[in-house]
Amino acid sequence: MPSNSHSCAGVTRRSFLADTGMGFTGLVLGSMLFRDQTAKAEQPDGRPHFPPKAKSVIWIFLCGGVSHLESFDIKPALNQYAGKSIEETPYKGVLATSEKNIVDGNPSHGNRKVLMPLQTGFKPYGESGLVVGDWFQNIGSCADDLAVVRSLWTIHNDHGAQLTWQTGRHPRELNHPTLGAWVSYGLGTLNQNLPEYVVLGVPTGDCCGGAFTHGAAYLGPEYAGVRLGNDAQKPLPFIRPASSEITSEEQLQNLSLLGKLNTLSGIDYPDDKELRARIKSYELAFQMQTSIPEVMQLETETEATKGLYGMDKPESKSFGERCLVARKLVERGVRFIQIFHGGGGGGEWDAHSDIKANHEKLSKQVDQPIAGLLKDLKQRGLLNDTLVVFGTEFGRTPGAEGTGRDHHPQGFSAWLAGGGIKGGMAHGATDELGFHAVENRHYVTDIHATVMQLMGLDSYRLEVPGRKRLEIDHGEAISQIIA
Amino acid sequence: MRLPPRISRRFLGLAFALAGAAPLLATPSNKAALERHYDRFLEKNLARCTTCHLPSDIKEPESLDDFPHNAFGNRLRILGEELDKAGKPKGIATRLALIAQEDSDGDGVANEIELLLGKNPGDSKQTPAAEEIAGAQAKQTEFARFIASYRWQPFERVQRPPLPAISNPGWVRTPIDAFIAAAQEEHGLKPRPEAPKSILLRRVYLDLIGLSPTPEEQRAFASDLSPDAYEKVVDRLLESPQYGERWGRHWMDIWRYSDWAGWTDGKQVRDSQRHIWRWRDWIVESLNADHGYDQMVVEMLAADELAPNDPETLRATGFLVRNYKMLSREQWLEDTVKHTSQAFLGITLGCAKCHDHRTDPISQAEYYQVRAIFEPHQVRTDRVPGVLDREKDGVPRVYDIDKDAPTYFFIRGDERRPDKDRVMQPGVPRALCGDRLKPALDITRVALPADAASPDKRDFVIRDTLLASEQLLLNARDAFTKAKTANQITERKFEFAIAEARHTALLAEIRAEQIEAAGNKSGDDWKEAAEETMRAQNEAALFETELGLYKLKTAQADARQILDDLPPPTEAEIADPYQAKREKAANDLKTAEGKIGAAEQAFAKAGAQANGDATTGFKPRPKDDYPAVSTGRRLAFAKWLVQNDNPLTARVAMNHLWLRHFGRGIVATPENFGFNGARASHPALLDWLAAEFMANGWKMKPMHRMLVTSNTYRMTSTPDAADLQLDTDNLFLWRMPTRRMEAELVRDNLLYVAGSLDLTRGGADIDQMQGLTSKRRSLYLRSASEKEVEFLKIFDGPSVNECYQRHPSVMPQQSLALANSELTLAQSQVVAKRLSEQAGANAEAFVRQAFERVLSRIPSDDELGACLAFLNAPSNDPAQAPDPMRLRENLILVLFNHNDFITIR
Repeated sequence: MPSNSHSCAGVTRRSFLADTGMGFTGLVLGSMLFRDQTAKAEQPDGRPHFPPKAKSVIWIFLCGGVSHLESFDIKPALNQYAGKSIEETPYKGVLATSEKNIVDGNPSHGNRKVLMPLQTGFKPYGESGLVVGDWFQNIGSCADDLAVVRSLWTIHNDHGAQLTWQTGRHPRELNHPTLGAWVSYGLGTLNQNLPEYVVLGVPTGDCCGGAFTHGAAYLGPEYAGVRLGNDAQKPLPFIRPASSEITSEEQLQNLSLLGKLNTLSGIDYPDDKELRARIKSYELAFQMQTSIPEVMQLETETEATKGLYGMDKPESKSFGERCLVARKLVERGVRFIQIFHGGGGGGEWDAHSDIKANHEKLSKQVDQPIAGLLKDLKQRGLLNDTLVVFGTEFGRTPGAEGTGRDHHPQGFSAWLAGGGIKGGMAHGATDELGFHAVENRHYVTDIHATVMQLMGLDSYRLEVPGRKRLEIDHGEAISQIIA
Repeated sequence: MRLPPRISRRFLGLAFALAGAAPLLATPSNKAALERHYDRFLEKNLARCTTCHLPSDIKEPESLDDFPHNAFGNRLRILGEELDKAGKPKGIATRLALIAQEDSDGDGVANEIELLLGKNPGDSKQTPAAEEIAGAQAKQTEFARFIASYRWQPFERVQRPPLPAISNPGWVRTPIDAFIAAAQEEHGLKPRPEAPKSILLRRVYLDLIGLSPTPEEQRAFASDLSPDAYEKVVDRLLESPQYGERWGRHWMDIWRYSDWAGWTDGKQVRDSQRHIWRWRDWIVESLNADHGYDQMVVEMLAADELAPNDPETLRATGFLVRNYKMLSREQWLEDTVKHTSQAFLGITLGCAKCHDHRTDPISQAEYYQVRAIFEPHQVRTDRVPGVLDREKDGVPRVYDIDKDAPTYFFIRGDERRPDKDRVMQPGVPRALCGDRLKPALDITRVALPADAASPDKRDFVIRDTLLASEQLLLNARDAFTKAKTANQITERKFEFAIAEARHTALLAEIRAEQIEAAGNKSGDDWKEAAEETMRAQNEAALFETELGLYKLKTAQADARQILDDLPPPTEAEIADPYQAKREKAANDLKTAEGKIGAAEQAFAKAGAQANGDATTGFKPRPKDDYPAVSTGRRLAFAKWLVQNDNPLTARVAMNHLWLRHFGRGIVATPENFGFNGARASHPALLDWLAAEFMANGWKMKPMHRMLVTSNTYRMTSTPDAADLQLDTDNLFLWRMPTRRMEAELVRDNLLYVAGSLDLTRGGADIDQMQGLTSKRRSLYLRSASEKEVEFLKIFDGPSVNECYQRHPSVMPQQSLALANSELTLAQSQVVAKRLSEQAGANAEAFVRQAFERVLSRIPSDDELGACLAFLNAPSNDPAQAPDPMRLRENLILVLFNHNDFITIR
């Protein structure tokens, strides 16, 4: 910490002035605004800590809990022993676990022990022969690019686990920085005209994390995700001045005065993260007036591209548009793009009943767009430095809950593809029934750590003074899936 | 330094193991009490039934006999019996403390040391090693400190804690300061000095009435040097009607206010009800009148049982009406149970719909008992004077439609699987009763007055019905006098006659009703009135059928005429130019002739009826009738809620109040005081506030006054380096937190500082599309699913589904809204024009007034300099020199966008 007696959390009154004094029109870079000279060792300077393997992340999140058993961790034993209780199978041992950190499912799990057969077919794909459920056959066709992690576990047995996926913390602990916020905080932007961290789609409902699922908590709101609508006609309200008389120069002059005034009255509040975020948001907003409509304009894309993303089919059009916008954002240097599917409330994938109808319908919305995204990134040479992650808050029970499956935090899957990832592999395993993660177990923050490492960031070096993080918050990168 | 304490991986594992592993039929409440007492000091292996019971192989023990105590458990049980006999307190904490130093299992190590070291105190085979015992000292000390700390028990009755002793009593202005100071001292924090007068004034204005102080008010406060200058301001603001609007919006968040939502041009109401704004007005008025919170809660849940004849009070039940869901009665009741418990009790009862609550001691059966309270209720709209059409106006309210509606236990919460053998009786969860209340509610049926059961027999409805009928009569006469053609004259004459007969019938019917209401239905007068009604109705029917027949015959004749007048069809191969006309006329003729037979019969029948003897069997006017009795369930529940012995109601309400004054709840999850909620930062303070609140008759204004006149509230919000390092998040309130204006305040103050805000209070909701052009306060703008004002949404406006607290964000969208919207552009022009009228050409005077007006303070010299430079910017091209007025408008626009405008310091 600096010795200056006016210092507050690494920022001095004087340095606040120096940092914010020029504002946008003085052309101080937004992400460089508040880095205090004396505190530089503790504050990220926007440079990675070691050579990165990826520049951007597309973080796809399916709300409600996708069945691992019928997507990327196929368990044929469920067909063989369908209708039998777990105790009646040769695998009754799966219920016992020696693991100390196991999270129980909900208490009524006692009633979910009668196995339900797989509700979709499956087959191996590509040279790797990675087995994928038919609901995700288009993603299956990209199997040789995927590294599936089949041994995840999480700490909450309800949909608050959606927040856990983003922050690593139990919802009871309220807001903590999301992975997107850490990446944004650690690396800053490659594009002054667009937010560093963009959120597409309807996020998790208020029950289960709400805005916290794309928030930055103590890192400050300037590192939080910015939500964009994916409607080209109306990407953002108030994107242009209501009066056409207002010229761009006039806006710039106003912005310049605003920057000066905000800085002057902010001297007494050198630790005010909201103020900093607001100054930055004005500079960004000015640029976004032109950059956002351009990104959201999908009309100029070829029919072939639209078809690739499934935008020609009503069921996959909306999610296809989100994926295509994500690709355009990657091209323009946005660091972290978080795409929600099935958001609001507990999440659409929450198939407590009729999982067949539920997953069949929802997979049709996402399967082709996601596969299209991977293929498009690849054909444009972007997949090498773009990391795509496919996740959900937990899996679903091997046992039936009527015609559905229940929440299953004890073992579930996610996959990664692109920048720095070994393709065509599965890492870790659940037991024969897909109940517990048993081999190479990973808590959700191990995925965060993997992303951080591929982005060239050491999360320990990003730690904010006074905000000690636990080892479990940092996680451990999954080296086996890194190329 | 953070609350809740960071939970380690181990502890999380523990928490969930506990939640999941409770064996059937054991007494989890004892286990929970053990866990509560030892909290984080209890090792995972002891958070089990076997800490007090012998291990058992019986899978489903029928009683505790199948599951006997071990030595430790036995000692606890016996001690409990002894204490009980002696009439002494026998809570588990007391008993655990009493036997802490005993050695129940006789292995030579005291119970508490064994417990702290993770060894079973009832199992002599589990004994800590000597070196472990030696190392237990630190743990014991830490545990002793924990035991001595304020043990917050939100599920126990509120007991007022003593004010803590602090080293600087001079800092205490109101009692809450003592609690805040104690926490500050405990954590080595120094309180910040009082905020500058201008900051304090703006803070308390925005906080209490949601409007910033005018320059005149600023100057008056600055020059008032009396010691109670600030208190005088507070009292005035609390008496201002704008207080109710400001705080009404807060409570509308918590109580989930929603205007009606629906489809197809408003013909289908799917959520909430029309005219629910009357509930909003009731909230505002009740707050302004400082009605007790207890009274407000009872009225919201049961005004129809409490004050069935008082339409003003009935508005309160909008709280329940708001949950109406056309598409699903199940969802409707689910929302009602879930949000009633979250709003008033801070308990996530909704989690117990499908299974026992996973983390709080609430069973699934108890969920359905609470549901049974609401099972009989329905919504309806009562008429208001002057408007018969309830789509145009009315009072939406609840009533019990079916006193016998059964509530079944739904197996796994599945409405398709009701357990018909388990009819649930109304009740409340045992765990929420503290030690004095009963889970079985004291329910008495309520007999409703006639006006509540038959609201359409009320005088004003009759008067309005007669007026409407007279109006129809006048219209019919008017139409008759204006008729021109013979055909029109005939038809209008019939219609006039029909209206006259109907009006006569209505008058006679109402006379019959009044005779009946007076209890004389059996007399001749009634018979006479009823017969007269019947006669007039018969007459009306006769005219109606005659008119019907006349119209058909006219149509028949007209069609024939057309066919006759048309030239005969031309030769077949040439197209007939009159084909369409000919076909239409033929068709009309056919249609008319097809109906004439039936019409003649109807006319004949009506004639026979009219010529026969009149009976008393008239057709009554359309009226809604409702049950004359209400179950009393909701009233009993509401009264249970606001008992002073209810553990949660007052605590939850005070937490909401605190949250909105200080930006963060004492419990940061105001809707969840249970295990999954956040831990309280100042538990003793919250208990004290709850006790004080109840002692004040649940009045809110004295509590507001106590909070905002405290030294805590008056502190400056600027940081102090040492404090900041110790408590970065200001959890222990060493400074006043900075807050951002809520969405409504942003919009209201944009208008207010420009002098444009229309302070009219109350009335129907304003179309959301007028959000940027209406001048009314934002709480009057429509807010419903898919009907929200975009501008407000961007500033984190309330979600209509659930909004127990706002979560302010900073987003470029907000910058765009303030910089680009027609609202800010228009209002900056208004302000610039007004101020220029006063300041004239004097740029400095303009800037000073602009700061006072928009930011409620005077500018610093640097700020003044920057603004003057902006106004006097040299232009490179004199021909393009900016219009000075335009520059002034832009300066105001910049101040609207200033962080100090939307920030409450």
